[in-house]
Amino acid sequence: MPEQVSIKTQNAYAQTFKIFVCMIAIILAGFYLLSSVIIPIIISFTLYAIFEPATLYLVRHNVNHSLAILIVLVFLIFFTFIAIGFAIPQLVEQIGLLQAKLPSIFTKLEGFLTQYSAEFSEQIGIDLNVSDMIISTLSQSSSLGQSFLLNISNRLLGFTIVMLLVPFLTYYLLKDFRSVRNHMMNWLPNASFELGWLIYHRVSQQLQAYTRGVMIQSVTMSLICMIGFSLIGLDIPILLGAITGILNLVPYVGPVISILLSLLVASAMTPFDPSLLYLGVLVIITAQVIDNVVVIPAVIANAVNLHPVQVILGIIIFGSLFGTLGVVLAIPAIATAKIIFNNLYADILNESQKQSL
Amino acid sequence: MRNIFWSNIFKSPTGELQSIVELWKDTPLFENIPTTHIKFLSKKMHVRNFTTDEKIFQLGSQGAGALMVLEGSVRIMAHKTELAFLETGDFFGEIALAEPEKRTADAYSVANTRLVYFLKQDLEEWIEYEPRLGARFLMNLSATLAKRLFLANKTIANQ
Repeated sequence: MPEQVSIKTQNAYAQTFKIFVCMIAIILAGFYLLSSVIIPIIISFTLYAIFEPATLYLVRHNVNHSLAILIVLVFLIFFTFIAIGFAIPQLVEQIGLLQAKLPSIFTKLEGFLTQYSAEFSEQIGIDLNVSDMIISTLSQSSSLGQSFLLNISNRLLGFTIVMLLVPFLTYYLLKDFRSVRNHMMNWLPNASFELGWLIYHRVSQQLQAYTRGVMIQSVTMSLICMIGFSLIGLDIPILLGAITGILNLVPYVGPVISILLSLLVASAMTPFDPSLLYLGVLVIITAQVIDNVVVIPAVIANAVNLHPVQVILGIIIFGSLFGTLGVVLAIPAIATAKIIFNNLYADILNESQKQSL
Repeated sequence: MRNIFWSNIFKSPTGELQSIVELWKDTPLFENIPTTHIKFLSKKMHVRNFTTDEKIFQLGSQGAGALMVLEGSVRIMAHKTELAFLETGDFFGEIALAEPEKRTADAYSVANTRLVYFLKQDLEEWIEYEPRLGARFLMNLSATLAKRLFLANKTIANQ
């Protein structure tokens, strides 16, 4: 009897896996077909997840649906313009400062590493010639940086045109997504209708909670770091705070990069103040503590139920497959895949157990 | 089969919404719930067509919500025993509105049947902004479930 159960479980796993692989293939094909507009689609869906409750709130208070969407979008565009008008001049100024500081950051880094490599070489008795290695690496990264900047300026126009799609897509998502979704769900056969809705409901609940949570988390982290960096007197506090908030979207790896960035900026300041190195790290660690103790339990807890190993492996795999976008989307994608697999498996196992009765 | 497939995709006939509202209004689930709210919820419901002897759901499967017979008839079975025979206006599967884990019986359409799905997610969304009426609905649901439990106990005691 236990052997029969085990065979049934294995068969159910195999069948679920086959269906799951087919679904993944279809989704990847869809991503490939839409690759040129995938970023505005993702941004529009994110905005939809954020603003749908506000639209529904207005509709429930007897505001016409289209008018409710327009009100929400006008608010969104208004605040975006205010934010851009306030932030862009400061950011441009701070990027200019960072650009001016980059040579001195590299020089200081080189001097620091040369000094320590010399001490290290003396201790172990082997000439590591780190200085040459660094110079070659820096020149390579400098040329890479130049080509990256050229690439960016070439793509900026195309990107701007594609990004103009965002308000239109968001409007139509807010207006018609539910009816299109219902129509598509009606294509499901009767046997899968309930399962389809259950999976949709669980995935959408998790993704909406995750998106809202991550947005709140990023803004909170950015604000804490901006205030912290300003208080300790670190250069370019607004830019650095904003970058820290955005990097926080990438778990485990993001905070480490933001610490390194703050160390670089602190080390390039003239006159050099060693205490700024510790204080910069302290600000990020404080923000991380607040994030882990207050923000995550309040807004992201239970949004995704993933083991840290799953998260790290997912980030590595998605990052190597899809680059930066893959790193940001790794967690919601794995969480979604997990829900779909578990629900399909439960249904197929129940079906096979029922058939054998 | 092809007809059923296409009829599930395209919209329900006009005027059907009103009959769905009227049928739900007569059920204990919507007792003392204003018609405007029943209409609001009915707009979110999904009408599906089933052929004769088609499986609607089976014991142990996950349930997404309650169903009501709009046309035709449904047989509820558990372990080859008929538990109920349902016709137009009768509803079933309401346990899934409280607990989506497992269906407690099998359901089959007896003839060509039209069913209305009332999904738990739509109920939850409605309760979020109508908590007072939502509480009334949940009390109605509890009373219905308690009544069914009482009847089940009575049947077991008589056996």
